[in-house]
Amino acid sequence: MSTNQPEDTDGVPAEPSPLAAFADEVAAAVGGTPSTDHGTVKVRVAAERWAEAVEAARDAAGLPFLEFISAIDWANDVSVGDPPEEPVEERLEVLCAVGDVVEGRLAILSADIPKEAPSIASLTHLYPGAEWHEREAAEMFGIHFEGLAKTDHLYLPDEFEGNPLRKSFALLTREVKPWPGDVDVEDLPDAVPTGPSTENPGA
Amino acid sequence: MLDQHAIRQLSEVSVSVEIETPEMTLNIGPQHPSTHGVLRLVAKVDGERITDVDPKLGYMHRGYEKLSEVRTYPQIMALVNRIDWTSGYANEVPFVVAAERLLGVEPPERAKWIRLILTEMARVSAHLLFMGSFPLELGATTPLMFSLRDRERVLDVMESLTGGRFHPNFNRIGGVKPAAGAGKEMKKQVQDLPAGFLAETRDAMVKVRSTCDELEQLIMGNEIFLARTKGIGILPPDVAVSYGVTGPNLRASGVPFDLRTMTDYLPYDQVDFEVPIGEQGDSFDRWWVRLQEIRQATRIVDQAVDKIPAGPLLAKVPKIIKVPKGETYVRAENPKGIMGYYLVSEGGQGPYRLKIRSASFSNLSMLPWILEGVLIPDLLAVMGSLDFVLGDVDR
Repeated sequence: MSTNQPEDTDGVPAEPSPLAAFADEVAAAVGGTPSTDHGTVKVRVAAERWAEAVEAARDAAGLPFLEFISAIDWANDVSVGDPPEEPVEERLEVLCAVGDVVEGRLAILSADIPKEAPSIASLTHLYPGAEWHEREAAEMFGIHFEGLAKTDHLYLPDEFEGNPLRKSFALLTREVKPWPGDVDVEDLPDAVPTGPSTENPGA
Repeated sequence: MLDQHAIRQLSEVSVSVEIETPEMTLNIGPQHPSTHGVLRLVAKVDGERITDVDPKLGYMHRGYEKLSEVRTYPQIMALVNRIDWTSGYANEVPFVVAAERLLGVEPPERAKWIRLILTEMARVSAHLLFMGSFPLELGATTPLMFSLRDRERVLDVMESLTGGRFHPNFNRIGGVKPAAGAGKEMKKQVQDLPAGFLAETRDAMVKVRSTCDELEQLIMGNEIFLARTKGIGILPPDVAVSYGVTGPNLRASGVPFDLRTMTDYLPYDQVDFEVPIGEQGDSFDRWWVRLQEIRQATRIVDQAVDKIPAGPLLAKVPKIIKVPKGETYVRAENPKGIMGYYLVSEGGQGPYRLKIRSASFSNLSMLPWILEGVLIPDLLAVMGSLDFVLGDVDR
């Protein structure tokens, strides 16, 4: 798969941007679908191939640096915040950002898993630093990481029940009392200077 | 009659007889020995040597990722500068850049340069705190007096501009805060940098540089400090990378990885600076790299003060900001290492999801690795040199 590449008038594909070229390179190595929206390289892979894809990113694409592992809870019915503008497919999206420390390239791999019995392979055998990231995602989203040796809570008390970063998990303080900021919002001043000034104040 | 070889063998046998010592579990904390937050370590020790350590986190967990889902973008700015409270301003920058990127707003040049100056001053103040606290953990009290004096100087200058010593909350989507005064009349006047700010900044940097020389003399002539830090807590570069260790801790291990030389979130390409790296990756190198980084940061501030262009501080943005649907990840080279925000917007006044990647979290995650086999008295020399803040670990 390839990202949208600009074509010039002769129909000859123009040179892709370095970011798009990098996204294509990672996608080819891991076998996924690339995107480069808002300057962020993201490659979607199948959840069954999660560990295999990240290993390919590390070895074949040359990205030995672990940036983070986390997840997004995609839900139409939310207990906190605003629901998505348009209906989304109900799922958990697992993210793993890997990069290198020579050129500072970074690619984010993502895989969708179902919300019922969410489970995905652990990456601790590839990156030792993955342990804390996965323990955090496990307690916050209720994701089971297969092969994660240490599964006790990282942040939450041992007896804590529920997964706080799930959209179905209500923020109790907000249920009891509305956000006080809603009532005392002060208007911004009208006279915000936005025109260019010629002098250099502060000198 | 025994020959020399036999005698040596015999003596080796006699010293290698080990006293049976049962493995003990030692609880350290919950507190950080130098009060950079609250941390508890459960260590397994064999005599004086640590065989395994299990850090217990969560004492500083404030749930910023969840709170971000019920707050608006301007409100979140006040939250994120409390993540790493030793460099509050630097935490705001990647977040505001992420929001601007989704919104498609480009801040004016002058605002970018002010962000750069304040980020580097945050770096100077964070590293100066380390220059005081790390020797203090090893029993040297004098460097603290020197470094805190100059940290206060830098914080005073930052306060004169932003109104806050630790938590400036000075960024706005599209630039930096334009109005500093109170009351309607003041707000109508053109509000910019306070008079004399640039001169005071330059002055503070000169003093910081001379304090760096003093600190260097104090430490380099201190045999106890050198004996307790050189060769202690060595972090090899490949281990650091696989754990996601960044910032001065990674550079002390000899990896010249500095996002300021690679990305364009601030105009670092227009200033001249060096990226100091260590040789061994021991506790001493981590101290040395930070000292050099203070000097480089003052160089950057000096150049920025000379180069800052005139112009507006804020781009045209709506009063109530709704960020269009989209996802982006923006990271920055903060004093403690790489800090990044994965921002997911679904078109609301606040994020749908905000993943905060903080430097100290990854830096601390290799603690069990680096502490294995370390003597208990060296625990402080190793942990102190890693310069983490628990607020930046727990978020």
